[in-house]
Amino acid sequence: MAFQMGEETRQVQATWDVTTYNYKVDGRGIKLLADGMKDKKILGIRCHNCGTVYVPGPPFCRKCYIPIDEIAEVKDSGEVVSFAVEMADVRGNPLDEVRVSGMIKLDGSDTFINGRIQVDDWHDVHIGMRVKAVWVPEPQGNLSDIDHFEPI
Amino acid sequence: MERKVAVVGYAMTRQASDIGVPRPIMLFELVKGLFDQMGITRDDIDTFVLCSNDFQCGRTISNVFEDTPVGAYMKDETKVEADGVMAVMYGAIRIMSGLYDTALVVGNSLGGSEFRPYLIMDYQLHPAYDRQLGILNEPVTAALQAKAYMEKYKITEDHLNKIAARLLRNAAKNPFALRGKEDATPEYIASSEYLYEPLRELHCYPFTDGACAVVLASDKRAKALTDKPVWIKGFGDSIEGYFLGDRDLSWSRSAKVAADRAYRMAGISNPAKEIDVAEISIKFASQEPIICEALGLFPEGSGAEVADRGLAEIGGEMPVCPSGGGLGAYPFSAMGLIRVAECAKQINGEAGDIQVKDVKTAVAHGQDGFCAQHNAVMVLSSEEG
Ligand SMILES: [Zn+2]
Repeated sequence: MAFQMGEETRQVQATWDVTTYNYKVDGRGIKLLADGMKDKKILGIRCHNCGTVYVPGPPFCRKCYIPIDEIAEVKDSGEVVSFAVEMADVRGNPLDEVRVSGMIKLDGSDTFINGRIQVDDWHDVHIGMRVKAVWVPEPQGNLSDIDHFEPI
Repeated sequence: MERKVAVVGYAMTRQASDIGVPRPIMLFELVKGLFDQMGITRDDIDTFVLCSNDFQCGRTISNVFEDTPVGAYMKDETKVEADGVMAVMYGAIRIMSGLYDTALVVGNSLGGSEFRPYLIMDYQLHPAYDRQLGILNEPVTAALQAKAYMEKYKITEDHLNKIAARLLRNAAKNPFALRGKEDATPEYIASSEYLYEPLRELHCYPFTDGACAVVLASDKRAKALTDKPVWIKGFGDSIEGYFLGDRDLSWSRSAKVAADRAYRMAGISNPAKEIDVAEISIKFASQEPIICEALGLFPEGSGAEVADRGLAEIGGEMPVCPSGGGLGAYPFSAMGLIRVAECAKQINGEAGDIQVKDVKTAVAHGQDGFCAQHNAVMVLSSEEG
């Protein structure tokens, strides 16, 4: 009698928890943004060559390929360039309360930031809508100092 | 018609245990510096080939974080998730296709400071077999390979010490290497602790941060970009099966197949005579004779004699790794690129204290996987011919 092999296809559970990484990140642009938030300021970096304002600021301009470090303050108000209405989490579980995740072009910035948009009825949100940051009562100098955005 | 391809520029970071800056900054400074030194801009590059690894970056699709720092914003870009020699091959093939005239190839790793490389290698193991048995890891496989060669060809730990001492002495003269020791002796190597017998700490590669960038150009563009193009004369690549139980670890079949392909393309029939210097990628001292013999640089089983007679020294019959090779630094993905750049330096007479006399033809080697499962070999020369 031939040896009985196992089923052709089996599922084996193994976790892919590779290791703990000590990521090195460029803290300058993110720190600039976070530090400014303590004073309810939104700070990015402007390219001195092409004028592009990035928020958060990168250490170099991706178009001009030169180092950049000129600080630029942008407004805490802007325009919704796109938005998503979250009705389930990433595992597919329905959310009790829908959330609106917006992509917002702050006045004076050439790049977009993400933030929650709070409205009574998400059907009211539209592209091009003007919004304003609602700050936490006592900003700490964290990215979470902007609690959400609301329509102007 | 086949187009010729040359290395027309190269730059590397110093290799370090902790390079101290984030990956994007390291890459921007390296590549921007290279462009400035060559007097070119990112517009002069037709295609970008990145060489990095998701595990070794700790993020999937590692290249998306590297494109902008190397100047590839809105450009033609691709990635090789293996060794740098394979990435240079890929860049060369893209130029040979006729679609591109220039390529920038960049490899990098922060294996010194961001993660423990041996732990990463564990995730290359088969999940339902090797990982269940729990026996294999990278240094264990290296020790198995070392014993297989040493037993077959009667070489001793003292010979491994001689190999490691030579590489550390060379690395001490290489300003880019991480680990070197000017007066390293076999006794000094023997004073380091065993990790996995017969391998001691100083037989093993140091965990390394570093990056390297190489600019390639077609024969049409090469001479406009440099006075000293280094021509890629031939290359070959070969991979063994994954299963270690199916491999005779006392030699490297795939390195031999890769070398044979490269030599055929380059028109080399007697590598030991025709090659002036070799820069190979070894992670453990015991891999040096195995790779050198597969590349035809020394006769089969000659590891003991080569070590005893100093044949691989900078002034020896066949200098191997004047840079210190993998015992001086081993930044993953950048490793093979650095070998190619070191070969170009040697050919151009720019190698300073580690310069070998009268180098016309050099061979670069890169590897990937357990016990060098995957090998790539490239022949470089000052002659366009
Ligand atoms: Zn710019």
